[in-house]
Amino acid sequence: MIFVIDDDLVMAKCIADAAKKETRIFSNAIEAMHVLDEELPELIFLDILLTGPDGFTFLNEMVSYSDTAAIPIVVVSSLDFSGKNLSAYGVVGYLSKDTMTPAEIKGYADKYAK
Amino acid sequence: MEMEVNGILVAAHELKAPIAVMRQLAFSLDGLDEHGEEIRSEMIKVSERAIKQVNDLVKIRRLEEGLFEMEPVAVRAVCDDVASELNYLFRENKKTLKINYKNRARLVVANRDLLHSVIYNFLLNAIHYSDSETSSELTVNEKHGKVMISVRDFGPALPSDVWREMKRGFVEKPLSIAMRPGSSGLGLYIASKFSRYMHANVGAVRHRDGTTFYVEVPVSRQASLFGG
Repeated sequence: MIFVIDDDLVMAKCIADAAKKETRIFSNAIEAMHVLDEELPELIFLDILLTGPDGFTFLNEMVSYSDTAAIPIVVVSSLDFSGKNLSAYGVVGYLSKDTMTPAEIKGYADKYAK
Repeated sequence: MEMEVNGILVAAHELKAPIAVMRQLAFSLDGLDEHGEEIRSEMIKVSERAIKQVNDLVKIRRLEEGLFEMEPVAVRAVCDDVASELNYLFRENKKTLKINYKNRARLVVANRDLLHSVIYNFLLNAIHYSDSETSSELTVNEKHGKVMISVRDFGPALPSDVWREMKRGFVEKPLSIAMRPGSSGLGLYIASKFSRYMHANVGAVRHRDGTTFYVEVPVSRQASLFGG
C-alpha cells in the first residue's frame, strides 16, 4: 500500500496512477496521520506545501514515532530541494513536480512497495 | 516595488501548480495514435516551457537574497544544452539555429542556472520574432578577457525605447513592445536582471533586418591557471 498526500487531488491521482500499485490518497497531513494509527503504508509520496500542517510538520511527526519512522517517504514538490539532505526524516527521494515523469514515480513504487 | 515583486511571486506559484498538473495529465494519456502522440508531446513541452518561465520569475526574488553562487562555467556546454532544449521549437516554427563557436573552450565566471536562462530567453525571443524560414545565429566570441554570447535574429528590428533600456544595461520592468506584437518583454526583463546579478554586460544591436542580443561575461581566471 502506498499513501499519496497532496492537496491537489488531480496531481495526487496522477501520482497514484503512475505508481501502478494499491494507493490511498489524502488531501492533508492530518487525515493521513489518523489513518496511520490503523494502517502503515510501504511508501509515502508527500507534497510539502499542503493546506493545514505542511509536509515538514508531517515529516517531524513521522520521525517521532517508532513505527512510522522507518516508512520511506518520497517528497514530491515544486520547491527546489537540490543540495538538501532530508534522509534524517526518512526521505528516500525527491521528485520535482516540474520535471518528474511517470517512470520515476513507478521506479520508487516498484522499489519500496509490493 | 517590494509589493510588486511579492505579487509576482504569489502569482508565479499559483500559476505553476496547474501547469505542472496539466503536464502530468498529458503523461497519463494513453492509447493515442501517432497524431495524438504528437499533440501529447507538444503539451508536455509547452507546459515545461511555461514552468521554466515561471521559475525564472521566482528566481528574481532569490536574486535579492543573493542565493546564486558565481562559479566557473563552461559556456559551450550551456549553449549546447539550451540549443538542444529549443531545437524542436525552431523546427516546429520552420526556423533554424546556427551555432558559431569562435572562442576557445573557455570557462567564465557566472552562475550556470542564470546564464542558461539568459541564453534561453534570447533564443526564445529569436524564435518568436524572426521571420519564418530564417536562421537565427548563436555566436560565442571572446574579446578583452570577456566572452560574448550573442543571438542574432532576422525579423522586425527592436523598438528604439527598448534598445535604449538595453543600452543602459538593464530593462527595468517588462515592456510592451509595439513593433514586436504580442510581447510583454518578459524574457528580456528576466535576461537583463540575471545578467546584472552576474555583473555581466547585456545589450542589443539594432539591424535593419533584425536584432542581436548579447551578454558579456568575464573569463574565469581560475581556468587560466590551468592554461584554459
